[in-house]
Amino acid sequence: MRHTPVYIVCSPRPLVGKTLVARLLSEFLLLKNREVTAFDVNLKEPSLLDFLPKITETAEIDDTVGKMALMDRLIIHDGAPKVIDLGFHAFDEFFKMTEEIGFMKEAVRRSIAPVILFVADTDRVSARSYPTLERQIPPSALVTVDNEYVVRGELPPAFARGKILNISALPNFLKTYVDRLSFSFTDYLRQEKDSSTELHQWIRRNYMSFRELELSMILQGS
Amino acid sequence: MAKPAVIVVGADKGGVGKTTVSRTLLDYFSANNVLTRAFDTESPRGTLKRFHPDITEIVDMTTTSDQMKIFDTLNTVSPSVTVIDVRAGLLSPALASLRDIGFLDAAKSGQITFAVFHILGPSIASLDEIAETSNFMAGARYFLVKNFINDTQFFQWDQATYNSYFHRIKDATDLTIPKLNEMAYEQVEVASVPFLKFVANKGISDDAANYSFVLRGYVRHWLANVWSEYDRIKLTDIVGSGKPTSRGGEK
Repeated sequence: MRHTPVYIVCSPRPLVGKTLVARLLSEFLLLKNREVTAFDVNLKEPSLLDFLPKITETAEIDDTVGKMALMDRLIIHDGAPKVIDLGFHAFDEFFKMTEEIGFMKEAVRRSIAPVILFVADTDRVSARSYPTLERQIPPSALVTVDNEYVVRGELPPAFARGKILNISALPNFLKTYVDRLSFSFTDYLRQEKDSSTELHQWIRRNYMSFRELELSMILQGS
Repeated sequence: MAKPAVIVVGADKGGVGKTTVSRTLLDYFSANNVLTRAFDTESPRGTLKRFHPDITEIVDMTTTSDQMKIFDTLNTVSPSVTVIDVRAGLLSPALASLRDIGFLDAAKSGQITFAVFHILGPSIASLDEIAETSNFMAGARYFLVKNFINDTQFFQWDQATYNSYFHRIKDATDLTIPKLNEMAYEQVEVASVPFLKFVANKGISDDAANYSFVLRGYVRHWLANVWSEYDRIKLTDIVGSGKPTSRGGEK
């Protein structure tokens, strides 16, 4: 095991699909690796903990104790992939802290591979936050998530410079279906025999994107 | 042999961070390969000695024998830099003693490099010390250190008061010590190791330690900021050791 991946799903904006991406990614990693630890730093929005309670822990970064509890676990090279669903309210504080404590440099030293999945929006807050990330995160570890349901058109050029992960929009009736707390993407793939359904295709397409992202990370690390 | 340099760190008020600043100085010199010795005047039990036991000696600056121990050895010992952490309330008397023994005259004539790091507290009384201390500063490098580690304010909100103190002394240089995360500060206290060892995750005897990565990160970031202030005033040049070297802790 060469690196321990740490995926940080983030945006300075609420309701852009962070938890959806974190759910999809967590279920993909669980299917592929049989283990994943998710951290929910997102208690003010629809929460990852509600969807995946068996693999999700809550975390807070409001004070130093909370930061230590989270970051001292993220920096351990144990081979278990980790996913952080970072709420919009914690965005600034989290990346201020990671910059101060030198998280990215220490991660490299300890064979941790952080991947920042920045869920894009077309507003000014997102446009201001992205350059902040660019200053701190190497381009190879910064991925813009183009959630078609949110961006609804061309991705702003500022976000389109680096890696992009596309999430196509689901029709409203399917979105309502996947938003049920009891819904599992992997269970759906296993149980739905008709692989031509739109949802089946959508999940497989996203899992494939994650697989490609993981592969590109492995190739960069080799 | 290089010209000896003496750095006095002091204040007439207690609890303003004298020993913290002394510790950052010893770490700075250590990282820049400048051989240094230190004297802790918190006799009989010194805080500085707890963190830097190998290079620190506890002295009582009010006694002639200990004054001889410090100043009569300036030209004979190999570390050319001497840092003296002066106990609260003793800065003015210590400077008066230095004047009386002719040390200040030696500094004025260039035989010795002498610098004073005056750690300021938040009160007008503390600021009044500046005028008193400055009377001794002919021939010395005088640094007014605003230590924000205790969330102190320095009348920045009252520009007239601020200017009357900080701009009154010609040739005094302001230094700013930023705030360090409280928990990180406490953890270093508990560990009783130099800041550099804490950052490097090492114990007292250079053994591997298990300090929090987050707290180490905060200390590293803070120490880099403090050292950038020392770089700004060209401290290694002042003590005659040339340019700061590339430092492992900042890589």
